[in-house]
Amino acid sequence: MTLLPAPSERRSLGLCAVGALAGLVVAGAGLFTAHGTRIAGVPPEDVALVNQVPILMSDFDAQLRATDNVGLDHATPQQKRQILKEMIREELYVQRGIELGAQADVIEVRQALVGAVEAQQAIDANAAQPDEAALHAWYARNRARYAGEGTLELADLIAPSSAQAGAAVAALRAGTPAQGVHSSGKVDDGQEFYFAARLHLGDRLFAVAQGLRAGQLSDPVAMPDGWHILVVRSNQPPVPPAYDQVRDRVLADVRADKVARMQAGADAFLRRRADIQIAPGFE
Amino acid sequence: MVRGGYALGIAAAGLAVAALLAWHHATVARETLILRGDPDTILSDPARRAIALRDGAPVFRNHCAGCHGAAGRGDPHRAVPNLTDGDFLYGAGRVGEIEQIVLHGIRAGDTRGWDLAEMPGFAKPVPYAREPLPSLGPQQVGDLVAYVRRTGPADANARGRILFTNTAGCWDCHGSDGGGDPSIGAPNLNDRIWLRGDGSAAAIVDTIEHGLAGVCPAFARILTPYQARVVAAYAAALHPRNPHR
Repeated sequence: MTLLPAPSERRSLGLCAVGALAGLVVAGAGLFTAHGTRIAGVPPEDVALVNQVPILMSDFDAQLRATDNVGLDHATPQQKRQILKEMIREELYVQRGIELGAQADVIEVRQALVGAVEAQQAIDANAAQPDEAALHAWYARNRARYAGEGTLELADLIAPSSAQAGAAVAALRAGTPAQGVHSSGKVDDGQEFYFAARLHLGDRLFAVAQGLRAGQLSDPVAMPDGWHILVVRSNQPPVPPAYDQVRDRVLADVRADKVARMQAGADAFLRRRADIQIAPGFE
Repeated sequence: MVRGGYALGIAAAGLAVAALLAWHHATVARETLILRGDPDTILSDPARRAIALRDGAPVFRNHCAGCHGAAGRGDPHRAVPNLTDGDFLYGAGRVGEIEQIVLHGIRAGDTRGWDLAEMPGFAKPVPYAREPLPSLGPQQVGDLVAYVRRTGPADANARGRILFTNTAGCWDCHGSDGGGDPSIGAPNLNDRIWLRGDGSAAAIVDTIEHGLAGVCPAFARILTPYQARVVAAYAAALHPRNPHR
């Protein structure tokens, strides 16, 4: 059987006082450390608070470096005061600009705000580190994208007529010099990447050349400037590299894809929660 | 007996509150010591150095080691810089500079981060979106590689030098002497330290053909200012030849 203590007014008041004190400590800590709260002191990470908006110490240090090329320890009090004065002025003007509604009027401010919100989505995507399985899966799905450019080296000969082109092809296939043809001059710089060959030859001739192997020549191809014969010296199609070789590009693409998806999601979310009214005829 | 129990409870509660206040005071004092001082002198001050390295290690482990590795040695297969090789891609290895990278990143979408240039990919119709540069052919890429590696026939080197210092515009970022430019993150090509690959001809060909634009995330909204500074100090201390370590 437990003996209960006799009621004591002093003890009750004492316990109440302890409880009240603990409550005050907790409430005070919450009150004075919450964001946006007016506090007596400047937090360690800030050099100043302007209407409770912090000016970060790291920004102050970077600004000192950028302006006077000097660190905190070597800056004179005057240099520090000057930099701080400029930073406070900037903050005051930013706040005043918001009060005046500059975001509604100034096109540069609007562009900067749109860019900043998009950038924030990119930051979140970039900070996440996809695991290797996700990167491998992306690579497997998009392997062709990493193949790079194939290379071609060829001669592009032009004959003025179908008959002369046919004769030239027959001669070349027989291993003898072709008569009555001349080079187009478009692909005479030696080996070039597929994209360059496509630009030089045009889509139609490039498609023909791409299908030929080294040592092969095409049948005559009728074009506005004559009959073309393509003689391929080398043709190295694009080869998809191994995953390890392109891992950095895969990571960049995965992140870019995530940024695009996050931005699309943000667009949808903002539209969903917004009250958008559109005039009749403009829906 | 019971009255003694109450007194003990009250004393314990008082002690807990006092301990909490003391811990809070110590935390604020530690953060003030690290954050209110010059970041570039943290590592030369034994007291601040010890705190920064102790508190920076777990932040590095949780947020940086995923790419740079637990020892900070990076990964040349993924173009992740080695933080221990004494070669500074951006800046000179000062804690303040590294802190800015931690906070605002590299090509991370933060307008205060580094994003002044990228390595163009010359095997593309448009090698570089920021300014007009010519595409290169396979032989030109080979000549450039011969010049950069100082290998191969003399005529290839000579053609490569012309490309480097003129046609392809490489000098604009890497400098006419190939010494790089830490103000835009252009690597030194003469020090035999390779950001991507092993310095082999194939690896350099791949970089010239496809370009390179590494990303370091911006942690300004993820880490506290204190965490950003101590992890910057920790990373700066990884360089054995860092004059600021």
